[in-house]
Amino acid sequence: MGKQLAFYVDSDKCMGCFTCAMACKNQYHQEKGVVWRKIYPLAEAIYPHQERAWYSLACNHCENPTCLEVCPVKAYFKRDEDGIVVHEQEKCIGCGNCIRSCPYGAPQYNPSLKKAEKCSFCWQRIDAGLAPACVLSCPVDAIQMVDLDQFDATGLVQYAPGFPKFPALNPSVRFRLPKQPVVVRREDT
Amino acid sequence: MTQWKKSDIEKALDCAMTRRRFMQWLAAAGAAASLPCGLLRPRKVSATGIVYEGGYETFRNACPRNCYDTCGMVTYVKDGIAQFVEGAPESTFTNGGLCVKGHSYIRRLYSPDRIKYPMAQQGRGTGNWKRISWDEAMTRIAEKLIEIDEKDGSMLGLALTKYSGNFGITNYGVEGMFSSLGYTTRMVGTPCWPAGIDAQNYDMGNMWCNDPEDMVNARYIILWGVNPAWCSVHTMKYIYEAKQRGAKVLCIDPVFTQTAAKADEYWQVNTSEDGALALGMARHILDKGLVDRDWIDKNAVGFEDFAGYLRKSVSVAWAAEKSGVPAEQIARTAEEFASHKPATIWIGYGLQRHVNGGATVRALDALVAMTGNVGKVGGGARYGHLQTWGFNYHAMIQQPPEGAKGYLGSAAKGEFDFTKKEGGPSYSNRTLNINKTARELLEASDPPVRVLWVSCKNPLSQDFDRNKLVEAFGKMEMVVVVDQFFNQTVELADIVLPATTLFEEWTVDVSYWHYWISINEQSVKPLHEAKSNIEIAAALSRKMNQLKPGSCTFPTQVDTEEWVAKEFNKGIYDLFGLNSWEDLKTGMRKARMGQAAWADGKFGTPSGKYEFKSDLCAEHGFNELPLYVESRKPYDKLRVLTPHTKFSIHSQFVNLDWMEDFNPQPFVYINPITAQSRNIADGDMVTVKNKSGEVTVAAKLTDNVPGDTIMMYEAWFRNNTYNCQNLVDDTSADMGAYKAGAPGVAIHDQFADVTKA
Repeated sequence: MGKQLAFYVDSDKCMGCFTCAMACKNQYHQEKGVVWRKIYPLAEAIYPHQERAWYSLACNHCENPTCLEVCPVKAYFKRDEDGIVVHEQEKCIGCGNCIRSCPYGAPQYNPSLKKAEKCSFCWQRIDAGLAPACVLSCPVDAIQMVDLDQFDATGLVQYAPGFPKFPALNPSVRFRLPKQPVVVRREDT
Repeated sequence: MTQWKKSDIEKALDCAMTRRRFMQWLAAAGAAASLPCGLLRPRKVSATGIVYEGGYETFRNACPRNCYDTCGMVTYVKDGIAQFVEGAPESTFTNGGLCVKGHSYIRRLYSPDRIKYPMAQQGRGTGNWKRISWDEAMTRIAEKLIEIDEKDGSMLGLALTKYSGNFGITNYGVEGMFSSLGYTTRMVGTPCWPAGIDAQNYDMGNMWCNDPEDMVNARYIILWGVNPAWCSVHTMKYIYEAKQRGAKVLCIDPVFTQTAAKADEYWQVNTSEDGALALGMARHILDKGLVDRDWIDKNAVGFEDFAGYLRKSVSVAWAAEKSGVPAEQIARTAEEFASHKPATIWIGYGLQRHVNGGATVRALDALVAMTGNVGKVGGGARYGHLQTWGFNYHAMIQQPPEGAKGYLGSAAKGEFDFTKKEGGPSYSNRTLNINKTARELLEASDPPVRVLWVSCKNPLSQDFDRNKLVEAFGKMEMVVVVDQFFNQTVELADIVLPATTLFEEWTVDVSYWHYWISINEQSVKPLHEAKSNIEIAAALSRKMNQLKPGSCTFPTQVDTEEWVAKEFNKGIYDLFGLNSWEDLKTGMRKARMGQAAWADGKFGTPSGKYEFKSDLCAEHGFNELPLYVESRKPYDKLRVLTPHTKFSIHSQFVNLDWMEDFNPQPFVYINPITAQSRNIADGDMVTVKNKSGEVTVAAKLTDNVPGDTIMMYEAWFRNNTYNCQNLVDDTSADMGAYKAGAPGVAIHDQFADVTKA
């Protein structure tokens, strides 16, 4: 395997503070309603306290991206040097195939341009030697950029509970799961 | 810095259609071929917004909001347009990052919703706004001020309400503007933290705490009524690091907060019974012989009296009953806390917004002190500090015009008022309690308050007894509001003046938590017709002196950069290791304040020691010892908590469309058991009602809140009348008058019931 950049999502550290999601808007100024990085609260079946554990998710820059497969105009390509999946919006005809096909909901529809768009892994920043906006912004290093070829993923999981399992795509993301504190509740309520 | 152009802004910001139409027009006009090809080359990847291109000019900014983190920022500018922001990289505290709010600033700067020009409203609350010129606005205001001065023989009919909307130091020029007009009426005090400030002053002689970065050295951390995962995101990494090094982290809060979820252990304390819980722990530590006698002998007075009180009146069982936390946990944790040094408590502001708030903070302080953890690296009763705020307050200190008359008697001073009055006339300002703004405005007489000036504050979203506040605004002869958005206070104004954002003015910012300082440069020229507070003061002074020479002493021309320079002095330079304030243009600096607050054992109290027993506290009408004080009696069925959300600082940020992508609507949070008994389902619209007012809002069911409590976040939504202050009365907290000029306010001692709407 060659270099494959991936997001390491440390849900044990993640505070669901939405800093990374807004850092993305700060860098790209997406239109209202178009959000590349989403912060998903974990369902209570996975973590018992509502809105207290989170996955910060954007494009997973899969090894075998569906978006690339289904695009009729080859608006997607996967960078040889680091595995980033790039969407060239000027080629996009807005057919929506990628939006319907991606099981992770990464491509978003831009209603003004009538085209798709998605997380670019900040390849322009990476090419300039900078960290992606989300990674730089996180106050607790809960979202990191790693190279799967070099990364020691001991104790981490690729398919965290609630995260769709599509091994054929091989999404470039790894999770650490959130722990729970000892909870001492009042007896009278 | 170059002048911005409207077209550049449209290009920079989500105006895809505008740009596309422009290009279509070019193509249709056959003009495309004649333009340099670079202009028409499509932007790669993201045609709707911007992408990182490199080659930016960078400027230093600082978030001036009322927040622990007060982040230094780097603003990336191209063609005079601010493109994006990052956290200052050299600050180990912010470490290149901001928060969800800080990263929305570009949108705030270029928001189409901004107040762009001075405007006058034809009838308060009508929304019938008409653009006026700066000259007309200043003329109307100045004429009114001259009129009231002549009618009343003083400027006491002019009142100011201002607090924490912008803590940039030059913004104290608003107070300066008021002083330069004569003796006026001022709202003093703070709704935020004053009971705790006074408590720490009685105990230690000042409010001063260790560097938050030092928290990594703690072996036991109690996060008591504080939610840094939302309200101080940059401190969390130090807490995680302490955990990593083996520290235990306990979070105590009535609500299962995000911080609670990140702790080792969480206790759901009965709201405002934190004092009982701390005293129960203290009693157990005493019984187990875990008191740090050496430290107390050297550094404290009054401990034997405190120990006597504990033995006589406090037991672990009693504390368990009051607080709701089982006795077994109280005893075990008390032992752990006392035997793991250094141990620290971070005391939040919420737990002192109660009728017994100051007493609670004194009890928590005592717990830290009796275990010998005050003055220690990794220890301390952490609450806040103002050690880095020693500026000149040049903008603030202005002289009244010759012959000005005012109030006979002394005026109260706020906690950020560092001015010293020397000699001079015996007149002073008239001070009114900021936490009782509604009734104070209505009741002030001789002269009544005729003109109200609002800046750095949104009283209709922040202040209490809101229905009465609306009535008080109605009584004013003129209301002037300086702001950036048409919020609920602006709705009740006659004249609104557009204020600059942090990108458009020079100032300097420090924190009441971390030890860093940041310059705030003007990174872009002011948009529209916005002016900074000191430029507004200068404009008013010009007009006052034109209409009535000598009626205002404020300089009629100000250069905001020069005025920043005037705020610095040798003390600040030495503290931060600066040769010149301009050193800050290359990055933030950190104050050199030694290893730990109070490490030398020289306390600021009358005895020079830590005072478990404070005569000063007794002189001010409270218990000399940190005794248990009863909480407020419920006046309705459920307790209402109105804390901060992660998406706002008070009423700021939630209104931005970028923020609406993540936080589109308000909720009231209700425990499922409480909801069930009222036939309320998740998502139902419900009405929360009490003696003060009511709010209709969607319900979210969660056991993060206890069954006897409902919770709503403080916020101002631009398209929603939601306002949690409808439910909050103006009952005072116990302490606060000593250092902040007026007692705090019992924000979290409120009650209501909820029914299906």
